[in-house]
Amino acid sequence: MERQHNEVADPAGSGDDRLIEELRGAARRFDPLPESVREAARASLTWRTVDAELAALAFDSAVEPSTNARSSGDSRLLTFSAPGFSVEMEVAAMGIRRRLVGQVVPPQGARIEVRHPGGVVIVEADELGRFSAEGVSAGPVSLRCRPAAGTTTSAIITEWVLL
Amino acid sequence: MGGSMDVRDLARAAAAGDQHGWNGLVERFGELVWSTVRAHGLRSDDSADVVQTTWLRLAEQLHRLQDEHDRLGVWLAATAKRESQRLLRSGTPATAVGEETDAKPAGGPTSSADNLVWWVIHDLPEHCRRLLRILMSTPPPSYEEVAAALDLPVDGIAHARAECLEEFRRRMAGIGITA
Repeated sequence: MERQHNEVADPAGSGDDRLIEELRGAARRFDPLPESVREAARASLTWRTVDAELAALAFDSAVEPSTNARSSGDSRLLTFSAPGFSVEMEVAAMGIRRRLVGQVVPPQGARIEVRHPGGVVIVEADELGRFSAEGVSAGPVSLRCRPAAGTTTSAIITEWVLL
Repeated sequence: MGGSMDVRDLARAAAAGDQHGWNGLVERFGELVWSTVRAHGLRSDDSADVVQTTWLRLAEQLHRLQDEHDRLGVWLAATAKRESQRLLRSGTPATAVGEETDAKPAGGPTSSADNLVWWVIHDLPEHCRRLLRILMSTPPPSYEEVAAALDLPVDGIAHARAECLEEFRRRMAGIGITA
């Protein structure tokens, strides 16, 4: 059997290798990658953006141990940071929908595209940088922010997060 | 498909927006990402979401990951692991794969031993269940990919694998089946 580079295997080619290969067959039969998930993975390329700066996820209250960062029991606080620009977002879950309330920092008007594999919702941040979006489907979300007027000429996109 | 396509070639093409190259990456690493998520015990719908989030992140960052094009499996496994952990820590209920699904294999089981194998795997202690689930990915993962998927040190993997397979055999023998 042809080996992949550095594949986990016993150099002596033992019964363990044969057993794992049988188990691999069981996984292919019982729990393979669903075709719909494979299709969604293929389609993910269309969301690629090369002309924007990436704002990384800097804070996620869902995984922070301290509880005073949470604004309320059902809300989640997220912060995305890029040099000179950040977005804070509070996410409230309502069944399979999400309500997003956000703040652009430093405060400024901006066009916000709420990107989701199911579609794009466009909202405006006011001159104080505040914005909100209702009825966003649960799932992966990324914001694309275009400051209305400012020093940054390119858009900023936030790292994809599963809401 | 598979080993003969250099991952770096696929990554370079995909980074330039080529759908063929991207599809090649999905073919090569799709099962690894899926196995990593399943090893963390997420339900079907959560698993699909985490897998998609992982690939969306790669699409976003691929052209910024030039240095990592020959380690994409490691990057993908680490990302899938982190996103799985993030979801679990945010309070999503986790269910072991065997429990949540009736897990009828496509085309029906080839033998009742198939069902037993699956059941025994999911009855193993969690660290073995996770390790074996990752190792059961096609094509076989590298040591680094396994380590990235599970937060295990690379040099512990060979030993853990041997131990967990021995435990699996022991339990199969306990129900009268030699594996």
